[in-house]
Amino acid sequence: MDMNVVVCVKQIPDPTAPQALDPATGTLVRDGKLILDDSDAYGVEMGLQLAEQSGGGEVTLVSMAPNAETSGLRTALAMGAAKAILVSDPLLAGSDALSTAKVLAKAIARANPDLVIAATESTDGYTGTTPVQVAELLGMPSVTFAKKVTVQGPAVHVERQTEAGFDEVECPLPAVVTVTAGVVEPRYPSFKGIMAAKSKPVDQLSIADLGLTAGEVGAGGARQQVVDVSAADERKAGEVVVDEGDAHERVVAFLEQLKIV
Amino acid sequence: MDFRPTEEQQMLRDAVASIAGRYGHGYYVERARAGQKADELWNELGQAGYLGVNVPEAYGGGGMGISELAIVVEELAHAGCPLLLLVVSPAICATIIARFGSEAQKERWLPRFATAELKMAFAITEPDAGSNSHLISTTASRDGDVYRLNGTKYYISGCDEAEAVLVVTRTGTDPDTGRGRLSLFVVDLDTPGIEMTLIPVEIVAPEKQFTLFFDDVVVPADRLLGVEGDGLRQVFFGLNPERIITAATASGIGRYALDKASAYARDRSVWGAPIGTHQGLSHPLAKAKVDVELARLMCAKAAWAYDSGADAGQAGEAANMAKYAAAEAALAALDQAIQTHGGNGLSSEYGLADLWGMARLMRTAPVSREMILNFVAQHSLGLPRSY
Ligand SMILES: Cc1cc2nc3c(=O)[nH]c(=O)nc-3n(C[C@H](O)[C@H](O)[C@H](O)COP(=O)(O)OP(=O)(O)OC[C@H]3O[C@@H](n4cnc5c(N)ncnc54)[C@H](O)[C@@H]3O)c2cc1C
Ligand SMILES: Cc1cc2nc3c(=O)[nH]c(=O)nc-3n(C[C@H](O)[C@H](O)[C@H](O)COP(=O)(O)OP(=O)(O)OC[C@H]3O[C@@H](n4cnc5c(N)ncnc54)[C@H](O)[C@@H]3O)c2cc1C
Repeated sequence: MDMNVVVCVKQIPDPTAPQALDPATGTLVRDGKLILDDSDAYGVEMGLQLAEQSGGGEVTLVSMAPNAETSGLRTALAMGAAKAILVSDPLLAGSDALSTAKVLAKAIARANPDLVIAATESTDGYTGTTPVQVAELLGMPSVTFAKKVTVQGPAVHVERQTEAGFDEVECPLPAVVTVTAGVVEPRYPSFKGIMAAKSKPVDQLSIADLGLTAGEVGAGGARQQVVDVSAADERKAGEVVVDEGDAHERVVAFLEQLKIV
Repeated sequence: MDFRPTEEQQMLRDAVASIAGRYGHGYYVERARAGQKADELWNELGQAGYLGVNVPEAYGGGGMGISELAIVVEELAHAGCPLLLLVVSPAICATIIARFGSEAQKERWLPRFATAELKMAFAITEPDAGSNSHLISTTASRDGDVYRLNGTKYYISGCDEAEAVLVVTRTGTDPDTGRGRLSLFVVDLDTPGIEMTLIPVEIVAPEKQFTLFFDDVVVPADRLLGVEGDGLRQVFFGLNPERIITAATASGIGRYALDKASAYARDRSVWGAPIGTHQGLSHPLAKAKVDVELARLMCAKAAWAYDSGADAGQAGEAANMAKYAAAEAALAALDQAIQTHGGNGLSSEYGLADLWGMARLMRTAPVSREMILNFVAQHSLGLPRSY
């Protein structure tokens, strides 16, 4: 069976560069170049492997991003994805996770996938709530925290990371699966991949193209609002225990105080 | 004038930086000191096509130019892994073969340059003909279907790991000028009659240098590149890429040193404030930064001139200037980085002093500082030739 996989990829400000919040909205400033969220590189790799294993399938990327940004998409296309759908629209400013999910669901539906892959959480927003909302809107089952994904016939088998170990879950396709960083090792794009990425199609859509209105998405549709932003407490300097023969006792006493031992 | 890299060039830079960053200077030094090669790094980059970016697409390469190869090489050096063989194998040898090789020769060698499975050394320097290539005395004489090579080359990098060497030989003498008529051959390094001896040098690098002795080495005629006697022109075609790629290596070393120095100067404090506060440290680093960036600019210009086929004079002038500027900038940046680190600058742990041999080499090879100044004086300024 040819497996057509949609991978959700978020394009985010470079996490290694200094970040800023917009003082008016309390949201992240995303004016500069955006890059492929590292968390999504795992999803792209997983999607590519599943499509390759199926014999003739392909990976379609779906992303919502401001300013028609494609830099992060090009990276994923260079890794081997076949094409991309990018939703970019000034009306999307101020989107919360639900608005984002509505947009992604509409875009994903266009690709008619057998499987949808997302990361468990993004690096910049990290609510970890978008993919399950996407699944709900698409009427698909979802399996989260996958550390291993295989497809057998019409079902996907997932080893699902838990605190104690992992659950083995089987789920009919089409489905939404979120993957952890351990799922596969993302490939580096080859030079040929980089050169080919430029000519791969990126279908750029507005919310009107998706049949959505300003009241449903963006600031207009957001159920969530950033009301206040305050700085995290500075981390206190640690206490240095100089060993004067009793260091072990003082360390144990400290741990007892924290109820760790 | 648009100084922005293309999207592909940026992605290439990012990809090589992240691969090389995973290996890093520690890996490079460990391999070099153990007398081993940086095989894992070389193979990973090669298989992904990054060491064959300038090989024509028809032969499986990336189909791009020296600009792209310069990006690869610079990012490797920036990650603390300056690979000398890249100056030789893809920059000189693949360029010359792609340009002057017969169809059969291109099919034989270029696909394996594309994946970097093939490493080829380059031999022009001789004990009695260094900066003056006209004096080359390694001869190739026709003997029926074969040529016989005799002579000595020295300081030839990578002979222990290369499969073949591109040798510059003399096949005749111009009766009017007395200068050699040169011809190029690709010679397998396991051919009987070739002997190599190691030249120990104070450079911490995986690549080693050798003296190559040719004692009546029989080379089939189909190993001659292009037309007999046309070697000087052919070599010159490969020497601009050689200079540009050397400049890119040096630029990368300069950036590596400045990254380390500025991080250390922000962090280390001895009088209550970070040492980078003192202008005695910050100004020399700022100057070094300016010089490295100027060198990178000239390197990019030279690569552009070469790739765009701008007139050979312009490419040659820019390539020489880039090589000069980058070597000087790298050496100054490295020296100031060492100074910034105080005693730690000389330690093995901080990974600076061990790069000095490599950075210093670039003032001397592949063409010395003085020969570049001769070139600029004569060709750019119209001054009389002194030699
Ligand atoms: C603090 C904060 C600030 C924000 N600032 C802005 C802002 O300034 N401008 C703005 O437009 N939006 C902003 N958003 C919205 C945000 O960008 C998200 O698109 C949305 O809220 C998803 O939330 P998340 O990043 O927590 O995703 P998660 O639920 O953590 O994401 C899980 C996975 O879902 C997929 N996914 C999530 N978002 C996208 C996407 N956009 N495209 C494709 N795949 C996706 C990815 O695979 C991702 O790894 C902000 C959100 C938060 C929480
Ligand atoms: C580590 C290393 C790797 C090398 N790898 C290779 C390689 O792979 N293949 C290869 O073919 N060669 C290689 N070389 C050789 C290198 O290219 C030469 O050493 C370099 O070109 C200088 O030549 P030379 O050593 O003969 O110096 P000489 O020509 O003897 O010069 C000695 C000094 O005199 C100066 N000088 C000479 N002529 C003039 C003049 N007219 N005006 C002013 N000053 C002058 C020079 O600048 C230099 O400072 C390598 C060298 C080293 C050290």
